Amino acid sequence: MSPRLFELMLKAAGYTVAISVAAIAIGLLIGLLVCAAKLSPRPWLRWPATLFVSFFRGVPLLVQLLLIYNLLPVLGLAVPSVVAALIGLSLCTAAYQAENLRGGFTSVPRGLLEAADMAGLSPWQQFRRIRAPIALRLTVPALVNEAILILKASSLISVVGVVELTRTAQNLAASTYEPLLFYSAAGGLYLAINWLVAAGGSLTERALRRGRLA
Amino acid sequence: MNKRLFVQITLGLGLVMAVPAMAQAQDAQAKDALARVKAEGVLKVGTETAFAPFDFIDATGEHAGFNVDAFAEVGKELGVKIKWVELPWDGVLPALEAGQFNMVAGPATITKARLERYRFLSPVAEATVAILKGAKDDSIQKPEDIAGKTVGAGKATAQLAQLKTYAATLPKPVEMREYPGFNEAYADLAARRIAAVANSLPNIAYVASKQPGTFAVVKPPFGQKSYFGYIGTKKPDDQALLDAVQTALVKIKSDGRMKKLQEKWFGTAFDTPDVAPEPSF
Repeated sequence: MSPRLFELMLKAAGYTVAISVAAIAIGLLIGLLVCAAKLSPRPWLRWPATLFVSFFRGVPLLVQLLLIYNLLPVLGLAVPSVVAALIGLSLCTAAYQAENLRGGFTSVPRGLLEAADMAGLSPWQQFRRIRAPIALRLTVPALVNEAILILKASSLISVVGVVELTRTAQNLAASTYEPLLFYSAAGGLYLAINWLVAAGGSLTERALRRGRLA
Repeated sequence: MNKRLFVQITLGLGLVMAVPAMAQAQDAQAKDALARVKAEGVLKVGTETAFAPFDFIDATGEHAGFNVDAFAEVGKELGVKIKWVELPWDGVLPALEAGQFNMVAGPATITKARLERYRFLSPVAEATVAILKGAKDDSIQKPEDIAGKTVGAGKATAQLAQLKTYAATLPKPVEMREYPGFNEAYADLAARRIAAVANSLPNIAYVASKQPGTFAVVKPPFGQKSYFGYIGTKKPDDQALLDAVQTALVKIKSDGRMKKLQEKWFGTAFDTPDVAPEPSF
C-alpha cells in the first residue's frame, strides 16, 4: 500500500472515530432524557420513552438509517448525509444507553436514599451525591461496550452516502484490485481503535472505583 | 421530588435544541431548485463511485472518471460548484426522489420504465450491454455461449434487466448473480466464481483495457441499442434547473468538449443525440 493510500485509510478511520464519538456523546444526552422520562412517575412521559426505546432497539440500524435519510427531505429538512448518519447512529445508541442508564439508576439501593432523606439532603443533593455517582459507576462497563458496538456499526453509514473506513477500503480494494490488503488494513484499524476505547474504559472504571471522578 | 426536577430540566433542554432546526427548514422551501442552487452556488449530484470509467475512485484514492470531468464543465456553464454524494446504486434513485440531491450522475441506461418516473437529460454515451469474460476462458466465444453458466450484474441496474431478457431467449437457463455494485461482480469473475459479467460496452471495455490478462470483452453486444443519460425528477420544482443542465450539456456537446471527454475515458467518441430517442425497452 502506498503512503498516499495509507494516509487515505487513516483519514477515513479518523472520520469513523469522529462520527462515532459524536454519536455516542449525543446518544448519551438523549439517552439521559429518555432514561429520565422512563423513570418518571407520569405516564405521558413514560409512554413516549418506552415507544422510543422499543422502536430504536427493535428496528435494524440499517433500516433506521435508510428511513431517516429518505424521510428527512420529505419533512423539509435537506440535511447532508453526515447529519442523517449522525441522527441515525445517535438515536439508535440513545435507546440502548437509556436502558443502560436506567439499569444503573434502578440499582441504587433504596436504603441509601432513605438514609440521605433522614440526613436532610435535598433532592438535588441526593441526585448529585448519591444517585448519579452510583448509577454512573454501574453504567460505565455497559457504556464502553456500547461505544465499541457503535464504532463497528458505523460501517453501515455508507448506505446514506458517508464515506468512512469500510467504504474507503471497498473503494480502494476495487480500484487497486487488492481486496485482501485493504480489508485487512481496515480490520486492523478498527481493532486498534476499539482497543483504545476498551483501555480508556478500564482506566475510567479504575478511577471511579478510587472515587476520583463524579 | 428529585426525579421530577431531573425530568423537567432534561426535557426542557431537548426542546430548546429542536426549535431552531425546524425554523431553518421552512426557509429553504420558498424558492425553486434552480434559484436555490444558484443562491448556494452548489449543485448536489448523487452517484455511485463504482462504475468505471464513468465514476470511480482511482488508484491514488481520488474521485475520478467521465462524470467528474463532464460535471466540471456543467458547473462552469452554470457558474456553480459540484458537490458529490456517493451512495450504493440501489439507494441512489430513491434518495433522488426523497430530495437528497438535485440530480443523479450514474449515468443510468435510458429505459421505458425509468422514463415514466424520471427526466433524462441529453445522452452522454452508448449503453448497449455486452458480456465480459475471463481472458483465458475459451468456452465463451459469442454472447449465446453464456447459456447454462453463471453471470453477474449489479443490483437494480438496467443491465441486469437486459441480461434477464436475453437469458430467457437462450436454450439453457442462465444463473444470475446480483451484486451491490459492478466492482464486486468483476472481482468474482476474476476469482472465477462466475463465468461472465453483463454490463454496458463502455464500462467493460474500460475494465478489460485495464486488466487485459484477466478480462476480455465478448463481441458483439447482445443487448438492444441504448444510451446512458443523467437523471432528474419530474417534480415541477426541479424543471428549471434540469433545463439549465440540459442546455449546458447540449452546448458542451456542440463545441466538441464532450467528444474530447469521451475519447479520454472510453477511447472512442460516440455519436449521441441531443435528446434521448424513445427507448426500445
